[in-house]
Amino acid sequence: MAGFPPPGATILGDAAAGKKIDEVGKKKVDYFNLPCPIPFEELQREAIMSLKPELFEGMRFDFTKGLNPKFSLSHSVFMGPMELPSQGAETLKIPTAHYEFGANFIDPKLMLIGRVLTDGRLTARVKCDLTDDLSLKANAQLSNEPNMSHGMVNFDYKGKDYRTQLQLGDGSLFGASYIQSITPHLSMGGEVFWAGQHLKSGVGYAARYENDKMVATGQVASTGMVAMSYVQKVSEKVSLATDFMYNYLSRDVTASVGYDYILRQARLRGKLDSNGCASAFLEERLNMGLNFVLSAEIDHKKSDYKFGFGLTVG
Amino acid sequence: MASRVALKVGGKGKKSGKGGRGGEGKSRTECLKEWTDWSLHKAKVIAHYGFIPLIIVIGMNSDPKPQLYQLLSPV
Repeated sequence: MAGFPPPGATILGDAAAGKKIDEVGKKKVDYFNLPCPIPFEELQREAIMSLKPELFEGMRFDFTKGLNPKFSLSHSVFMGPMELPSQGAETLKIPTAHYEFGANFIDPKLMLIGRVLTDGRLTARVKCDLTDDLSLKANAQLSNEPNMSHGMVNFDYKGKDYRTQLQLGDGSLFGASYIQSITPHLSMGGEVFWAGQHLKSGVGYAARYENDKMVATGQVASTGMVAMSYVQKVSEKVSLATDFMYNYLSRDVTASVGYDYILRQARLRGKLDSNGCASAFLEERLNMGLNFVLSAEIDHKKSDYKFGFGLTVG
Repeated sequence: MASRVALKVGGKGKKSGKGGRGGEGKSRTECLKEWTDWSLHKAKVIAHYGFIPLIIVIGMNSDPKPQLYQLLSPV
């Protein structure tokens, strides 16, 4: 998203200004020097950041203590109802409370993030830059219960104007993706995956067009998913986003519209869904290092109302 | 093990085991599978108990070196 200086700011008059605009508009595209595209899994990241904040229900308190610019420990307390997946139309909620301890080590070349809950579940994320272009990412969720642990390893290779990724997961899950810059604004890619345990495989294609003011993405997969998103940056502080997801195998469709206000002391995100769901998420900076968080999600169709509040320190 | 020795006297354990798979317990592929399952299980246990201590050890040894009391105090 480079910004060019506004043309025409000369003292030579309108004719010269017109000629300068023409030159800037017809600037030759160097197809051998295209920028490196966004990684395939982050294709829709602007839409996801604006439309899908981490909504929660209950009380949340997070405390992060930095011992070092690279090393920090975090303590997190959560009290609230947790939803259980239920077969019927009613949502089952069970009140839970847990404490989570976490340690983060963040270096330009190595990133280690670990979180452990009171019931023994560990979430681990590792990101390591093996060379300038090749990086290894791994994440795992380990638990004491048998057969409830999962892990995944990704190898990412960044080329001059393309990126490829190879993914290996437990339960014989293999995936590969490739994305290439076609023009300075457009990039297209595809992915293929094979899940051995569930005996499923699929192919998907995606495209992303962006410029200074907007980002539009589209994704199609053989699992039946069609997803499109559009984010428009209306001003420095305001973005509007819209998202459309359609599954042509199960005939499921969801469309949502949302806004994202990034103000000096606060960030407010709101969304309205075609499933009759309205949600909002506010993060307000009360003081240096002290953030207050409010989350609300009202589902009119299921009559499910979720409100949460929390404090984040550090 | 006793039946393997009885079938091929003087032969090596593994080779005779592969040859006489018909009526016996383990073959080479089954041994390999069992070994990978055992090692994956041990690796999972090591990762489960050792990942967070590993991050703490790497963090405490990075520059600038933090003090031990900073690990426990809330300030």
